[in-house]
Amino acid sequence: MPATPSRLQVLSLYKQFIRNSNQFNNFNFREYFLRISREKFKENAPIQDKEKVAKLYEAAQRDLGVLKRQKLISQMYTFDKLVVESAKDQGDSRS
Amino acid sequence: MLRTFFRSSTPLTLRRISASPVAARSASTFIGRQSFTPMRFYSAGAAKLDKDEVTRRVIDVIKAFGKSNAAATITPTTLFNKDLGLDSLDTVELLVAVEEEFDIEIPDKIADELKSVAETVDYITSNADAN
Repeated sequence: MPATPSRLQVLSLYKQFIRNSNQFNNFNFREYFLRISREKFKENAPIQDKEKVAKLYEAAQRDLGVLKRQKLISQMYTFDKLVVESAKDQGDSRS
Repeated sequence: MLRTFFRSSTPLTLRRISASPVAARSASTFIGRQSFTPMRFYSAGAAKLDKDEVTRRVIDVIKAFGKSNAAATITPTTLFNKDLGLDSLDTVELLVAVEEEFDIEIPDKIADELKSVAETVDYITSNADAN
């Protein structure tokens, strides 16, 4: 049985998810991964069963690996900003 | 080492242009001045961040964060979990936003202990890399 992760380990994993998701170049992927990371962690937060937590932690670590790779690939291929993004930036600069 | 180089090279240069005494004098003053040129280092300590400025920027980040109960006015004594209604995951996310704003990385153990605006500001001002 894999070791149960501590509170700090889980928070650290969440931090890495958020940080890596933030680094996606593509707006759609970035928002998607941020949303899915938040949702999954929130959803699984109340789980107390140690075995279940350990399993989820392992799965999340594998996912983080995938996320990191995809983030790098996303940074190799950059596209023009989407209409929503430039509208957002203009809104920011105006305010 | 640079200084030794200048010292040893000075007579050589003087010898080469000694045909004109005026040129020799100007050359020697030029070299003399250059060897005293103050050097600047990349790692020179940047100006320390002003505490009020840091507080203002942290509060701006919290306001932009959106998830917090932004209606409540944010003061240095504001607590993340009680006053802003953030759980531990939200706090981590907020601190990532703060890290990006100040170009620093807060170690996980310290980040876990930051619970109020004032504590975060204190950590940032004590961190030499923040800007």
